Amino acid sequence: MPRLPLGDWVDSGVDWLVAHMGWLFDAIKAVVEGMYDGVNAVLTAPEPLLLAGILAVLAWWLRGLVAGVLGFAGFALVDSLDLWDRAMSTLALVLVATVIALVISIPLGIWAARSRTVSAALRPVLDLLQTMPSMVLLIPAILFFGLGTAAGVIATLIFALAPGVRMTELGIRQVDAELVEAAEAFGTTPRDTLLRVQLPLALPTIMAGVNQVIMLSLSMVVIAGMVGTGGLGGAVNEAIGQLDIGFGFEAGVGIVVLAIYLDRITGALGAQISPLGRRTAAKARAAGNTKIWSYRPRPVVAVAGVAILALVAGGLGTFGPSAGTAEASATDVGKGKEIKIGYIPWDEGIASTYLWKELLERRGFKVTTTQYAAGPLYTGVATGQLDFQTDAWLPTTHAEYWQKFGKQLDDLGSWYGPTSLELTVPSYMKDVNSLEDLKNKSSEFKGKIIGIEPSAGMMGLLKDKVLKEYGLQGTYDVVDGSTPAMLAELKRAYAKKEPVVVTLWSPHWAYSDYDLKKLKDPKGAWGKGDGVHTLARKGFAEDNPEVGEWLKDFSMTEEQLTGLESQITKAGKGKEQDAVRTWLKQNPGLLDKWAPVAGSEPKSQAAG
Amino acid sequence: MSSRLEAEHLYKVFGRRPDEAVERLRQGADREELRADGTTAAVIDASFTVEPGQIFVVMGLSGSGKSTLLRMLNGLLEPTAGHVRFDGQDLTALSDRELREVRAQKISMVFQHFALFPHRSVLENAAYGLAVQGVPRAEREKRAAEALQLCGLGGWEKSWPDELSGGMQQRVGLARALATDADLLLMDESFSALDPLIRRDMQDQLLELQRTLKKTIVFITHDLNEAMRLGDRIAVMRDGRIVQTGSAEDILLRPANDYVASFIQDVDRSRVLTAAALMDTSVTADAPLCACETATSETTFAELCAISARLSHRVSVVDGANKVIGVVPRQRLVAFLGDETADPSPCDNPEGKVIAHA
Repeated sequence: MPRLPLGDWVDSGVDWLVAHMGWLFDAIKAVVEGMYDGVNAVLTAPEPLLLAGILAVLAWWLRGLVAGVLGFAGFALVDSLDLWDRAMSTLALVLVATVIALVISIPLGIWAARSRTVSAALRPVLDLLQTMPSMVLLIPAILFFGLGTAAGVIATLIFALAPGVRMTELGIRQVDAELVEAAEAFGTTPRDTLLRVQLPLALPTIMAGVNQVIMLSLSMVVIAGMVGTGGLGGAVNEAIGQLDIGFGFEAGVGIVVLAIYLDRITGALGAQISPLGRRTAAKARAAGNTKIWSYRPRPVVAVAGVAILALVAGGLGTFGPSAGTAEASATDVGKGKEIKIGYIPWDEGIASTYLWKELLERRGFKVTTTQYAAGPLYTGVATGQLDFQTDAWLPTTHAEYWQKFGKQLDDLGSWYGPTSLELTVPSYMKDVNSLEDLKNKSSEFKGKIIGIEPSAGMMGLLKDKVLKEYGLQGTYDVVDGSTPAMLAELKRAYAKKEPVVVTLWSPHWAYSDYDLKKLKDPKGAWGKGDGVHTLARKGFAEDNPEVGEWLKDFSMTEEQLTGLESQITKAGKGKEQDAVRTWLKQNPGLLDKWAPVAGSEPKSQAAG
Repeated sequence: MSSRLEAEHLYKVFGRRPDEAVERLRQGADREELRADGTTAAVIDASFTVEPGQIFVVMGLSGSGKSTLLRMLNGLLEPTAGHVRFDGQDLTALSDRELREVRAQKISMVFQHFALFPHRSVLENAAYGLAVQGVPRAEREKRAAEALQLCGLGGWEKSWPDELSGGMQQRVGLARALATDADLLLMDESFSALDPLIRRDMQDQLLELQRTLKKTIVFITHDLNEAMRLGDRIAVMRDGRIVQTGSAEDILLRPANDYVASFIQDVDRSRVLTAAALMDTSVTADAPLCACETATSETTFAELCAISARLSHRVSVVDGANKVIGVVPRQRLVAFLGDETADPSPCDNPEGKVIAHA
């Protein structure tokens, strides 16, 4: 069989689209982000509990008192977990994705229901959208729309489109053919047949589709979090990236609250707006089934309630605290200019990123930091969505990314090195000291080497080169996974003193937490150590000459880096920047050394 | 007077290359040959006329093409070949928009499974056709209520279709069709889904309504008894073709072929045959000779037997002006019951005395 260059075709197709259709993607991006910002502004404007009240009244109206009370309790819980803003951002994302998905999918579903050809043509496309692994769609989405909300919304809605189309088509096709014929026999136009007969009767099925769209959107927000949409998805990503089980669970609970609320509300909405559903409800009411907990306010009362709460909310919002704090000083180089830093949740990445966030903020810049996986991070910087990142392991580990994106990146030099990559075993594995010793120990390790993200550069190196050099191919499988999963497996095996071999690198905090042994590499298969480089988007250093200089001259010693890392680990999740401040206080002079302002000090040649 | 509805060499072929199939049918190909090629000839060369105020029944077993034929009459299906003329207007030549207009104004339809809109009340259902016509709400509700009243459903306006029995639902279907004041009523197996007692009620009600409304009705059924009861004229369809068209008596007395003959075996002739078909028309007079009971040409066989039993002589059949247009001897009544057409053979005891055997 000849090798079909399908991947190349897709690559060149994507390149062509990026090059020629940029205006279209920009327009879509502007619309999507506009919608998102609007919805998000509305949702975050009122006091959290007030909005929780509004949402609860909505639930009360649509489903009853119990639903209202539980809804309020759920949203109050989200607020008390300090996740309110993230939850509203996720809600806004889901709402925008859902609305766009419906605007596309319902007409498509109607069209498919009316034409067998369209239906047959759409089916494989829908299958593709629904089953194509979402990460595969996510990277092109970043190329087209850049990191952030738009890419997240688009990836989400692509995933959620299919059930909307399918359920609409199914609903319309399910309408009794004799009823459609009856409408036609009385001279109804096709349009009226659709509006007066088919759609009303298909509505329950269509609403089930809407419900599915919302649920799928919600399940996608976690993945969308990887491209920097923030919200609860971002929180989950940060938590799993840093093995923070507790925070991950809290964010997960937030998603569950949103999911249950949206599911119940759309379910009830389906019954409310479909004529048949309204009838059933009316029948139940007529049967005298009016207990206090199933009492539902009439629409007028509900709307009035929502309106009053909304007015109060609006009033509070207007008079709420909105005074900004402006700090002007001689060291204000940035004058509020915005700089976006992306990072991979690796310890040296977190440390250096928050260090620079603090340094740049002291110099008057406005800095945002967002966490990504390696692929999206490189894409983001290469496309100019992000200004720089500090965690590029070059020339070896990230060689593939450099090959792909190098031309669109500026290398601002290495700030730490050398690093090393290795396979590591716990030191209780007495007779395994070198990679050569692994050769006949395959059964002891169950033939498994615990790997990290398959996208990580060292995984490619391990599979393609290291195993070959030491003749370990075929006897060992490299288990793809993630860094947290690898660390969790190491922790588990370490606690039970089981044999385990993992992929690890230095510097890494695991070496200080556990008693580990790096396997020697006599053949030098891992190559020479990398330097940790700072990569900036093309032109960043020209746009920001001072910052460019600072980054080029930046370097850290091992002592400094491990000291900062341990400070951050001690401070805990969410307090990274406080840790940086404390650490800077303990190490005076570093601010002016790393980010000198004119007249403060001559250019320093910091040692590595 | 021109016919209200006229079907002229209608063909309907489903499948690929229908025109070619029609050509082959015209040249004498039969349905089975076409089926082998994957095309289905549903209606083949159907022609008939319906006069104003008539009930024209199309009778046939399932798959005979009768429903397809009906749907070509109001353009729900476009004929592959042939023409439908309604009030002199060729429906097959109309655009979709004009055709919808004709359907909305002049032709209405009653369906086998009622086809009531479950999301509309009984009144809204009955008013549906008027809503399509664009009649303002107040007027259409008034007219729909009248139609419901006419169909015996006064007081049920606010109910919902699923709260009604089958018979009542079909009355709503009938009211919906009548409310538009359409001249032509197409009824597709409209009573087939009802149980026998209700079906008889509905047939009676239809005949009763027809006596005052004088609509032109095309009625589809697979039930020959129903066809005989309702039809002024009946067309029998088999395998897409109309095999015989005529009055109930034509069908019953002069079946065109064995198929029709086998069909009518189970028909209750006593309720279908009338004096007009039974009488001996060689005997006529300006007035009956005696003051005894007489029959009219519409008197059914069953009633004739009853009259004959009460008389000592032949039953005279008179027209509206009390003129004798024929007579029915008891001999003929008995002969029909026994399905005997030969003349009586002579008796060896012509005195007719009964010989008692000891």
